[in-house]
Amino acid sequence: MSAGVRLAALIGLLALGGCVARQESGPVTLVFKYARILGNADPLPGLLREFEAAHPGVRVRAEALPWTSDDQHQFYVINLEGRSPGFDLMMLDCIWVPEFARAGWLLDLTSRLGPDELAPYFPSAVASATYDGRVWALPWNFNVGLLYYRTDLLTRYGLRPPQTFEELVEQVRRIRAGERDPSLDGYVWQGKQYEGLVVNVLEAFWAGGTGLLAGDGTLFPDPARAAEALRFLRGLIESGVSPAWTTAADEELSRRAFGDGHAIFLRNWPYAMDLFESPGSVVRGKVAFASLPGRAHGQRGVGSTGGAHLGISRRSLHPVLALALARHLSSEPAQRAIALGAALSPTRPALYRDPAIVREHPAMPELLRLSLAGHPRPVTPYYLLLSATVQPEFSAALVGVKRPERAIADAGKRLGYFLQAVR
Amino acid sequence: MSARLRALADALVMLALAAYAIPFFWQLLTSFKPEAELLRVPPLLPSRLTLEHYRVVITQSLMPRALGNSLGIASLTTLLSLVAGVPAAYAVARLPLPGKRLLLLAIVASTAFPQIATVSPLYLLMRALELRDTWAGLILVHASFALPLTIWLLAGFIREIPIEAEEAAAVDGAGLIATFRWVLIPLLAPGLASTALLTFLFSWNEFLFAYTFTVSEASRTIPVALALFPGVFEVPWGDIAAASMLASLPPIVIVVALQRFLVQGLVAGAVKE
Amino acid sequence: MTSREAAARRRALLCVAPTLIALGALTVYPGIWVIWLSLQRRIPIFGVSRFAGLENYAFLAVDPRFWSAARTTAAFTLGSVALEVVLGVAAALAIQGQRRGRRLSISLLLLAWAMPAVVGAKLFEWLYHPAAGLINVVLGYPINWLGDPGVALPAVILADVWRTMPFVAVLCYARLLAIPDDVYEAAQVDGAGRLATLTRITLPLLGRILLLAVLFRTLDALRAFDIMFVLTGGGPAGTTETLTVYAYRALFQTLQLGFGSAVSVIVFALVMAVAWAYLRLLRAGTVAA
Repeated sequence: MSAGVRLAALIGLLALGGCVARQESGPVTLVFKYARILGNADPLPGLLREFEAAHPGVRVRAEALPWTSDDQHQFYVINLEGRSPGFDLMMLDCIWVPEFARAGWLLDLTSRLGPDELAPYFPSAVASATYDGRVWALPWNFNVGLLYYRTDLLTRYGLRPPQTFEELVEQVRRIRAGERDPSLDGYVWQGKQYEGLVVNVLEAFWAGGTGLLAGDGTLFPDPARAAEALRFLRGLIESGVSPAWTTAADEELSRRAFGDGHAIFLRNWPYAMDLFESPGSVVRGKVAFASLPGRAHGQRGVGSTGGAHLGISRRSLHPVLALALARHLSSEPAQRAIALGAALSPTRPALYRDPAIVREHPAMPELLRLSLAGHPRPVTPYYLLLSATVQPEFSAALVGVKRPERAIADAGKRLGYFLQAVR
Repeated sequence: MSARLRALADALVMLALAAYAIPFFWQLLTSFKPEAELLRVPPLLPSRLTLEHYRVVITQSLMPRALGNSLGIASLTTLLSLVAGVPAAYAVARLPLPGKRLLLLAIVASTAFPQIATVSPLYLLMRALELRDTWAGLILVHASFALPLTIWLLAGFIREIPIEAEEAAAVDGAGLIATFRWVLIPLLAPGLASTALLTFLFSWNEFLFAYTFTVSEASRTIPVALALFPGVFEVPWGDIAAASMLASLPPIVIVVALQRFLVQGLVAGAVKE
Repeated sequence: MTSREAAARRRALLCVAPTLIALGALTVYPGIWVIWLSLQRRIPIFGVSRFAGLENYAFLAVDPRFWSAARTTAAFTLGSVALEVVLGVAAALAIQGQRRGRRLSISLLLLAWAMPAVVGAKLFEWLYHPAAGLINVVLGYPINWLGDPGVALPAVILADVWRTMPFVAVLCYARLLAIPDDVYEAAQVDGAGRLATLTRITLPLLGRILLLAVLFRTLDALRAFDIMFVLTGGGPAGTTETLTVYAYRALFQTLQLGFGSAVSVIVFALVMAVAWAYLRLLRAGTVAA
């Protein structure tokens, strides 16, 4: 090789090497990935600055995650599997914790936590942060599926919040006949092809007395009842009780429709209440929530629980500091600040009776009752595999391109093939 | 046809094409519309223009960093492709190469390669070499993907250059490198420009590999930053519009300004069969 | 072989060496590796890694979602390419007919082509917004563009055609420029009307470049990923899920590297088969022309 070529090769390698090398100098920077919190005042920057003040030499860089739960999961999966994630503290949807723990991406916190450190949290939140008998995350905020309703409309017709969906359909019919407003929808919920759809369908399954996974791990233990529940949901759209755009609706689209006064009932998470009560809201003072309805010949209605946990990457270079930050964010003062300033519910039951919070959000004690009655989605490392596989099938049944029985059968077959490899 | 009718016809064509570009102009308008008016249409036109969305995008989002990444990665990809591609194209066009037919076939076949086919092994490879979230990893992948087309185009351009020019240089005693520098490259300049333009655009717009191989703002490119644009709870249409405008600005400026080379490049790729 | 020739050969090999190394390492080697992956059950999250032979392919052969994706890919490709060719030729003819302002016309066209596919997707996502999107406002009728299974695929095709039609248009325009004026003059002398000139002279001369444009666009449409991934993610109910989206979801949503690779290999084979078929056609065309 001529000298010229050798020199060029050397320069090339150095240039590439320079691109590869990463900055290591400077103060300790913790990277915290989270989904941005909405509220009248975002309390998170304040909490992070508090932490930085208490730990001189430490900077916290908060980076927002992508938009939807599925995209966030894909982001985490691609990067955590890629072995150089570049973040320390992660906000995790509670359904991901078993999967991430199984994959070895989370730091085992069991030995690092105090003996009663988890006592003040919701038991179900702690349960979803536990896998294989060990603790992998700190519960941060809590969610439960609720039925929102227009108090003014129901009072006008002398109605009480429906106990069953059949009642709900009847109430919708009465109110719409009376109001004669063509832009008033009946019941809006989330039917777009994403995780939210699975939540709605699971709630329908549970109301019908069945589920996705049986206790012993059987898939679709009662396919006929599952198909019936799916058919009922499809029926809501077909009969017009729910608008046609339900199949493209996520939390925000449905919340907006209800918040603009165009719907009687809404299924959503607790965060929406804050937005309905904010000044300038069309439905201010006219909204309340109740338990989700059941089915006439089924079970009581129950909302799906959810929420976010704080997990630490096993490859973090600063696990002690990351844990300190997690503790700080899920501490009582921090959760109080988040509950007051933002629309996220705490994972500490005590805070639901806290005078300051109840003053701001009078419905907190009721929310506590509903939270304790909520039902978790299957707590299994395969949950995401399950969800990703059933989403298109449920969506197909909902839009009417597949019969519900066929959708359930196909879903079962696919899941069988994929789970065969792992179980 | 009379001159006036001619002018009218010309105007109609331009109007039709302006109508074709309406999606672009609507996005441009959206990026200047105040937040409150975005979802309240009609009226279509805003009551006032605002720079708020651009402010949010530039100060609070990852777009500026992504712009830097895209510029760097696209430029270096183009450079690398040309540096590797010019000699290879020359060899294919002029030199006696063993197995040339096979190589040409492989190159032509490579231009049809679907990215999805190699993304899973490349993911594992990048992970093993710790090249994820680096400029280098993405540049290498982009360059290798752009190389076949680069060579094909450049070989075509080289063949257009009369061999007499090189022979004259050889008679004057110039070696290969000198011939390259003083004879070939200047004559090849328009072809190089076209190829460089197409390669730059490919790298700038590339999404699949960038989405899979970038982690953080250290290497995230524009298309990925846009696809992952975080919303608070609502989709921030105005901010996304502003980010879209910023993301398309460099390629649009380049393409419109260097139209001539673009047309030349596209034609060269198609006509030189 | 003289030493001169040998030197020339060495030089030639040196010139192609970097290219061969790069292509070998980053294109050919992964191309072979993906086939090997497709014969495995490989799920890193759960530590699964075993040889499985043709299991994945056997599953795909009877998998309704796979066949639905194949149909969607075919529909997308056919619809997209047909529209692009028709509109592209029309645009090229229109611009060629202009006496002045051609540069502006081409610039307006190129606005759509220059932007990344992701930007185009975001653009159309906003246009298709059921309440505030420009399209529904202008139509005055709320169409659920991205949520109605009957309309979603056409909506995606439209978004793709908008962005890529300029490519075909510019290609045809350049070819039209190369047609010497005396061809048209001769036709005029022979008394040919505008339509006759178009169908008997212009279109046949465009023929070869159109075939090439169709080839490029077909291959691109078969490999298309960005637009449907960002615009609809494959929904609703998988009606816009092409094979590439299906493969990517299988690979990276659940990290099923073996199964996802099997779908990728099928896309790979499909694209190469189509490319080969087209090239044969072109070769045959060359001989005739």
